[in-house]
Amino acid sequence: MSTLDTTDPTKFMVDYLTSFNEEILRSDEDAGQIVDHYYANDISLMADGQRMGRDDLIAHVRPIRKNRATSRVEVHEAVVDGDRIAARYTLYVSVRGRDLVIEVHFFGRFTPDGRMFEGHMLTRNVDTDADEFASGQAANESEAS
Amino acid sequence: MIEHRYGVAGMTCGHCASFVTEEIERIEGVTAVNVDLTNDKVIVTSDRELALADVRAAVDEAGYELTGQEH
Ligand SMILES: [Cu+2]
Repeated sequence: MSTLDTTDPTKFMVDYLTSFNEEILRSDEDAGQIVDHYYANDISLMADGQRMGRDDLIAHVRPIRKNRATSRVEVHEAVVDGDRIAARYTLYVSVRGRDLVIEVHFFGRFTPDGRMFEGHMLTRNVDTDADEFASGQAANESEAS
Repeated sequence: MIEHRYGVAGMTCGHCASFVTEEIERIEGVTAVNVDLTNDKVIVTSDRELALADVRAAVDEAGYELTGQEH
């Protein structure tokens, strides 16, 4: 498992998000055990105004498995300061025959062994049909070149 | 119109809410589904009495767990 002090911030975030989801889908391991690999026991996570504790995270594993939700993440930027990380990323999720694009702004703190113990995130569903998204993509691409 | 409240475990985000809504809406007679994420509740409006087994099956199909019905 990657840790904050030895890994590039962007790579840390990509690895963390990707491997959590992959582990859920790949293994039949107990949901509690998987969650404990990625989150400290006293995790305090606020997601879109909803407080999520360990039990909520565990309960969320079953639907991910059942729906075979796969996801790909693109981290746009990530900044580390001690045990803190701030990141902006986009999740591309495939679930129940639908493709969802979710933009996330995240602040979090991680234990030395790479588990999240505090997190705050705001998410936004990106309407992929909207022009705003299409032109946003185009603008990003031209910036990059 | 009949309204029933059900406890559903595991819904944590807007996507969870829409998966559960989608499945329950398929039950015949259902006219509206509202999810209360904060309280792990689903409020179902229907034009007839629904069999608890049907609601349970719909919730299960979406990947979640029905914890009970409130009276
Ligand atoms: Cu969810």
